[in-house]
Amino acid sequence: MIKIALAGQPNCGKSTIFNMLAGVNQHVANYPGVTVDKKSATLTYSGTAYELVDLPGTYSFSTFSLEERVAKAFLVDENPDLIVNVVDASNLRRHLYLTFQLLELGRPLVLVLNMMDVSERRGLQIDCDKLAELLNVQVVRTVGARRQGKEDLLQAIHAAGRTRVAEPFRVDYEKLEPYIARIEGMIAEDVSLSRRWLAIKALEGDEVILDRIGVHRETVKDLTGEIHSRHDIDVDQMVAGLRYAAADLVYHKCVKEKGSGKETFTARIDRLVLNQWLAFPILGLVIYLVYQLAIVQGYKLTNYTWPLLAAGRNQFFSLLPKGEFIDVPLLTEFGIWMANSVLALLNYIPVFFILFALIAILEDVGYMPRMAFILDRVFRKFGLHGQSTLPLVLGGAFVGGCAVPGIMATKGIADDRARLATILTVPYMNCLAKVPFYTLLLGAFFKEQMALMMFFISTVTLFIALILARVLTSTVLRGRETAPFVMELPTYHIPTLSGVLLQAFQRLWLYIKKVVTIVVAVAVVLFVLLQYPGVPADKMAVYRSQADDALAAFSLVVEKTSYASLLADPEQVFQLLNLYDDYRAARMLAGSADAVAALDEKFMSRAPELFALVSAADAETRQINRALRNLSNVGKRLQLDMKNDKITSSYLGTLGRALEPVSRYAGFDWRVNVAFLSSFAARESAVATLGSIYEQGATDASAEEVMARDGAYTPIHAASMILFMILTPPCIATMVVVKLQSGSYKWMLFAIFFPITLGIILSALFFSAAVQFGWSGVDLMRNFYIGVVVVTLLLAFVKTKQSGWYVGKTH
Amino acid sequence: MLSLTDLKKNETGQVVRSLAKGLLKQKLISVGFVPGIQLTMVRNAPLRDPIEIAVQNSLITLRRSEAKLIVVEKL
Repeated sequence: MIKIALAGQPNCGKSTIFNMLAGVNQHVANYPGVTVDKKSATLTYSGTAYELVDLPGTYSFSTFSLEERVAKAFLVDENPDLIVNVVDASNLRRHLYLTFQLLELGRPLVLVLNMMDVSERRGLQIDCDKLAELLNVQVVRTVGARRQGKEDLLQAIHAAGRTRVAEPFRVDYEKLEPYIARIEGMIAEDVSLSRRWLAIKALEGDEVILDRIGVHRETVKDLTGEIHSRHDIDVDQMVAGLRYAAADLVYHKCVKEKGSGKETFTARIDRLVLNQWLAFPILGLVIYLVYQLAIVQGYKLTNYTWPLLAAGRNQFFSLLPKGEFIDVPLLTEFGIWMANSVLALLNYIPVFFILFALIAILEDVGYMPRMAFILDRVFRKFGLHGQSTLPLVLGGAFVGGCAVPGIMATKGIADDRARLATILTVPYMNCLAKVPFYTLLLGAFFKEQMALMMFFISTVTLFIALILARVLTSTVLRGRETAPFVMELPTYHIPTLSGVLLQAFQRLWLYIKKVVTIVVAVAVVLFVLLQYPGVPADKMAVYRSQADDALAAFSLVVEKTSYASLLADPEQVFQLLNLYDDYRAARMLAGSADAVAALDEKFMSRAPELFALVSAADAETRQINRALRNLSNVGKRLQLDMKNDKITSSYLGTLGRALEPVSRYAGFDWRVNVAFLSSFAARESAVATLGSIYEQGATDASAEEVMARDGAYTPIHAASMILFMILTPPCIATMVVVKLQSGSYKWMLFAIFFPITLGIILSALFFSAAVQFGWSGVDLMRNFYIGVVVVTLLLAFVKTKQSGWYVGKTH
Repeated sequence: MLSLTDLKKNETGQVVRSLAKGLLKQKLISVGFVPGIQLTMVRNAPLRDPIEIAVQNSLITLRRSEAKLIVVEKL
């Protein structure tokens, strides 16, 4: 297997070349120990197998940035057989800077002139033969976005893989050459890497290389000091200057500029997009479109995908063992619980897919760095980065979003501290699944002021995120590595459909794989915590006797009819009961007369004898049918009561009560605690749990009405709950992604417990103040809102120390 | 001595030296800010900071605080 490293500077179109070669057959993992993506693929061409590894895009191989360290470590440790270097043909001079460094490695190299279409449009005539001759490598022209040049590239790889480099191109480092030679002499005999490359790196002061070749740092320091005193320039600036000079020389020998003098396509668009007055409206429009298409339209799309999921779920339910009156098998309860937990997440797949596709488009077009350019000044004040914009928007800077894609979009943020701060603050944005919880409480307690309250809820989150970002970056994140804001604004490109789809599917698959598996694990734990130790024995005895009474009453009615023998076996009664309940549930959904007829047909064929009692066509069956209805209602009521008791005495219920001494300062009783605890699996469960705890017996009233009537809570209780929900920890899915993107469990735990603590403190504070000063629920919310906005503005005007950036150890 | 931030829109200059250290120095070198290279101030961000510079055929944006460290002469 021949190992190929794919290298290139950022924005050279390297990923399009990788996709062109690898197709869908690619594997995404992390480089060891860091959160940098490592894409690889295996391919076969004329009988030879190749392993292709995509290196992170780097300008050079210094030790300063994570990507550059990772790329260098790969080249040094894995020693690939062949390097494929992708360069932007329209920007050849600058991209040669990296090419020269790769050539110094002494490995066979294929130079890929990508984006030939752009360079031709700019009137550049590149003499490839001349370039190949000067650099002594194979040169291939491609347009990666349109898959042009694949065959040529494969042929070149094939040819280069079997030749040895005779005489590699050398940059003439002029006055530095004697020093390079001296260091080369110090390197031990048995190195597999190019001695010249190692010596140059050593001269540049690369500590990783120095340790590797066993040359003392002091020795090199003496040399560089000597050079500095003789030529009055730093070694690294000198080396860079000489490389650029060499690039200039090669460029002028190989390229003829027939510049049309016309303004480039990119410059024309930038005049609009980055215009002083138009930049913000255009940015707003783009963000609004992303939000509208993905969140709003995607959510609408779930109306069509949900029935499919629900149908699958119901199919699955029908396979589960049936209950016998009040005894529902554990397996059945477990199956229902798990299916609902997983479906709650799968339901968002359309939203995620559209979001991921739109992000891919924005990235491919080249708008992302421009977004950072426009907004950097605002975000910098709070320790964030211009590139934090998109993650915050996706997380739900408007009415609702989802933290999962938001956090996944932080990947590109160059500044490690700002990236972590963004990861930790995105979960505060408005999660779509919190909306049902808000509507439940608003519907119950704030019917009149619903719009105002919703405005507070949806706009306060961005301020909270900014405050926390500022607080985190100046405290716990202070020591994190930061990077200067030096960013290239790439030329605009039209994205390709296949590229966008491939990226969207890859991210979606990652989400399903990582998130759903963990959610399943947590759902199992929650199930156990809610199910055990179960209904207390004394209460169970009462329910059992009530059930027996109801069954006896039913038998009494049946005994006098001709169906007595059919229903003599209790098994038959249970079957009849299940048939009756199933039919009633299905009948509710069947609208037209035809549908009802079809339904009757289906149930008829399922159990013809028993169905006669369900459809009840004559006086005798009607009599039994009435008794059956009673029995079914008693059963439902008993099951609900049992469920209630089960939750009350469950481990989670016990935990909820154990937290009451603390949570009551915020106005939460144990029922609310249980709802919040169970919401950790997925937000939706908060409403479901609260609903089920509140469904005291069979009542037709909605959960809103029951809550409002219950009297245990007042609007300030509700406002306090909303306040806590705004701040509460994100769901488990988000936590998984925090772990993925921050690369540590430490930050995941921090992301769980910090918001809980903050939430409970602030809720308690505002709840107590509301009780003390007699605020209404709306007062509480408004005062909280004003407080948050004031703090944000204060922080914006307090100057941070312009320490710039800091390089430390990462991870 | 002029710094990069002193260039007005569409003015062209030449890099004299960079006063940056460490990471920033490397980063500036790798995107093309080396002594002798020509550059053009393209525009300010809508909020005046950061700035956009055309250098070596590409468009680079950097904050004013960092651009201050690049010494240039006007052409």
